[in-house]
Amino acid sequence: MTRISKPLVAVGLIVVCFVQLLPFYVAFTTSLKPKTDLSSQLLPPTEFYFGNFASALGDGNILRAIFNSIVVTGVSTLLVCVLGALAAYPLARRKTWVNKVVMVLILSMIMVPPLSILVPLYSMMSDFGAINTYWGIILVMVTTHLSLSVFLYAAFLRTIPTSLEEAARLDGANLFQVLFHVVFPLLKPVTATVIILTGIATWNEYALSSYILTKPDVQTIAPAIASFFSTQSSNLGAAAAAALLALAPVLIAYLFLQKWFMKGMVAGAEK
Amino acid sequence: MKSGKTMRSVKTASVVALVGALALAGCSSDDGDAGSGSGESSGSVDATIEFQTGLAVDDTEAQALKELAAQYEADHEGVTIDLVPAGEDYEANMKVRLAADDAPDIWNTHGWSVLRYGEFLLPLQDQPWADDVIPSLETTMVTADGEIFAMPTNIDISGIIYNADVLKDAGVDPAGIDSWDDFAAAADKVNSDTVSPVYIGGKPLSAAVADRVVSGTFNDNQLTEMTDGTFVSSAYQEMLDIIHSWGEAGYINPDYSSASRDDMAKALAQGQAAFEFGPSLLFDNALSFNPDVNLGFIPMPSNTGGPKYLVGGERTAFGVSKSSENTEVATDFVNFLAENVTDLAAASSSPPGLTTGTMDLGPIQPSFDEWVTEANTPVVPYFDRVYLPNGSWDAMQVTTDSVITEQASTADATEQMKTTFDNLYGQTK
Amino acid sequence: MATTRLKTTQRTRGYRAKTHRGSGLINLLYIPALILFAIFMVYPLVSGIGLAFTDWNGYSAARSFVGFDNFSRLFTDPVFGQSLVNTFIYGVGSMILQQIFGLGLALALDRKFRGRTTARAIVYLPVLVSPVIMGTMYYLLLQYNDGAFNEIVVALGGDRVAWFADSGNAVAIIVAINSLQFMGISMIIYLAGLQSIPEMYYEAASLDGASTWHKFRYVTVPLLQPAFATSIVLNLIGGLKLFDIIKILTNGGPGYSTNSVSTLISITYFDNQNAGYASAMGVALFVIILAVTLVMNKMLGRKQLEA
Repeated sequence: MTRISKPLVAVGLIVVCFVQLLPFYVAFTTSLKPKTDLSSQLLPPTEFYFGNFASALGDGNILRAIFNSIVVTGVSTLLVCVLGALAAYPLARRKTWVNKVVMVLILSMIMVPPLSILVPLYSMMSDFGAINTYWGIILVMVTTHLSLSVFLYAAFLRTIPTSLEEAARLDGANLFQVLFHVVFPLLKPVTATVIILTGIATWNEYALSSYILTKPDVQTIAPAIASFFSTQSSNLGAAAAAALLALAPVLIAYLFLQKWFMKGMVAGAEK
Repeated sequence: MKSGKTMRSVKTASVVALVGALALAGCSSDDGDAGSGSGESSGSVDATIEFQTGLAVDDTEAQALKELAAQYEADHEGVTIDLVPAGEDYEANMKVRLAADDAPDIWNTHGWSVLRYGEFLLPLQDQPWADDVIPSLETTMVTADGEIFAMPTNIDISGIIYNADVLKDAGVDPAGIDSWDDFAAAADKVNSDTVSPVYIGGKPLSAAVADRVVSGTFNDNQLTEMTDGTFVSSAYQEMLDIIHSWGEAGYINPDYSSASRDDMAKALAQGQAAFEFGPSLLFDNALSFNPDVNLGFIPMPSNTGGPKYLVGGERTAFGVSKSSENTEVATDFVNFLAENVTDLAAASSSPPGLTTGTMDLGPIQPSFDEWVTEANTPVVPYFDRVYLPNGSWDAMQVTTDSVITEQASTADATEQMKTTFDNLYGQTK
Repeated sequence: MATTRLKTTQRTRGYRAKTHRGSGLINLLYIPALILFAIFMVYPLVSGIGLAFTDWNGYSAARSFVGFDNFSRLFTDPVFGQSLVNTFIYGVGSMILQQIFGLGLALALDRKFRGRTTARAIVYLPVLVSPVIMGTMYYLLLQYNDGAFNEIVVALGGDRVAWFADSGNAVAIIVAINSLQFMGISMIIYLAGLQSIPEMYYEAASLDGASTWHKFRYVTVPLLQPAFATSIVLNLIGGLKLFDIIKILTNGGPGYSTNSVSTLISITYFDNQNAGYASAMGVALFVIILAVTLVMNKMLGRKQLEA
């Protein structure tokens, strides 16, 4: 980069950071003002008002929602990784026409809009007694995020030469030994990508969760925050407070796992 | 080699078949599961009542319900009232649950106890409060057979809502508005850079304007024609022309297309709006932003030579699911709520839905006394719920929208509405 | 000589045979995934197809068969056509913007300077929140009377802007917000790609007297090829599936002009109570998506070979 462009880049970065932070700043000021405080969004509150946070923790039961989100996201992400890697292996390694068809079918699942399956899915789940249960929402989350995971694992597997697996085979290892001792360790970087994408998507999922989880004791954060909005009234301050509280755990996770985030993303990009 | 390949495809084919079979097995086991899952609380003592309030979790009405539910639970051992708050998608959520035959035991019918939810609700006309339902609710809440499906805790009543301070500053006397010409003159007077004479939240409520104005452009004969399935285009277009003229004159707020209900309430609360058309909950919402604002309402002018009128109907009402396993307990709880109708109505600063309740409207009380109690202004039901087929609301919304945003002429918009009417009318009859 | 050769062939044959046997079985590994797909996606999708032949209102028991009416209506419905066009604008538009921003930011933040980690975290921050929340926050910022953006505009001496009054602007704003929210993902993918390019390539280019632009054009871009593929696919999927932000910011308005197919399905299903027609839209969308996926799969397959 030349000397002249440096300050330009710096200014550009500052503008981008400003734009990205603005919504969070406004959410922050909104969360600390009572509903009757109609001062500018840009102005900090004259005195701190904690009623919104009290409401988010009390009426909104946001800590419970965060706990629910951790359970649902944790289990779903784990399953998405395991099932995705298992499914991708034969699809990447054996390109028979059947497997090609299976692959396309799985890929086409990536873009199915949640709404077009909502009503039959809900009916079926209600017959199973799966509405308002952890296992119900986890199975749905796993299925709706599995196709992207299969796609990423398969794409990555195709870039790994088969020689290691063949060598292991020659040494008499069975399929599972090959998978667990040779293939899966190689998948670490792409697994990080899958964990990040699935984790964030599940943590924030709203379209299906808001129907499947209606009771406060099982609700994850997005539907829990939405319960501050109804056609009758809405409480933006409390919703903002709840959203900020719900952001805390992911933000902490991000800061700790930053290196992994980067490494993980190399997966798709390397070679 | 060849045989190896066929072997493989046979294997894969059988795998595919297996998956199919498993999927089918999964589906057909539905019935069995449903049976075992449902019988759990058939005992008469222990009952958990799922009560979908249809209200935001921190709503004042929801808080009042919470207290009453706790009180009821304390008096009835073994009964648990499970209050479920609603999000923004409450209506969609209820539709999905009804389609899946998974209705809550009690739910908020928000204006649709007969038309939408009637087939799923238990008739409650034999309950102690049934004879006390406010007369103005009877047209929409009681069927021809005398059935009533929900207990109304409050009513929605409004005409043209105004900010009294804004009108006073501009020297407008709201009581003098007797025609749409008077209204236009008043709007002209208050119009300024900081005040929008007519503030409409286009996203949720442009049809609310149309739905209120339209009752004054149809005469009785035309209304009968509508009931018989003939769309009266001229009268409908007359309504659109009125609204269109406000847009042309620059009376409507510039952020019309994106404004929400909240924005409407906020604009009213801050004196950025002079007049608004919408449900009475705009009052409570505006007061929640600014408890000191002076609000009121006046009746709607009629264009057909009829008297001025107010628009009203069911607001919050609770019905009991037909398919509930605890209909007795659920009905008993609704009856208990009916006994406390005064508290519930006060929590929403609305008139109670039962004559047994007493009123505490706060700042709206003077308007109510003037137009309802003293002048005895007729209260007409929502036009769409009586004269338009179920499902027309969105078409009304979009056609009004396209007239305000100049995307369609009033004649074209009327034609579009007629098409929807004809389609839906044929469908439901 | 002869014996050794024989042995090798035998060994190779033995190995092949073994993998073949194993290979047939390894297809079992995708069975759990297929079962989940069959139950939770294929079955609901297929039942949805049945609804497309009815005039069901979406909740009541009554419905009657209307044949192909709903499908033939699709072809003449300008609203559906518009939503289809919008869906592609949301998909392709966001994808392009995110590549530009993502790559630009990655190049800027690849260099070492103080505050780099913080800057990366800030760019990435919106990825961590739900689009529902992001949409609501932007809704607040873009309000006419009290929105922060209009306050900034007024402070700079301009007039308040009704951001969503014009459908063209509204579509552009939706694309921009979606891009701002998810450009962090592209940035990280490109950063990762940049870090995997060995320094010696640049050094070699410098020795040859290449300018900054030439280094970018002939070293960086070709070696980022796989990163491009990953980022483009992810962003295209995200943009085509866009739902929450549209729902919150415009709910499809003014008129029906900013709907994507997904939001139009929601409006048709729940607000217009025309579940049959909404299901027909769902089927049409699925067929279109399937076609797009097939094309993309072909293209990506080629990319992978090149890489």
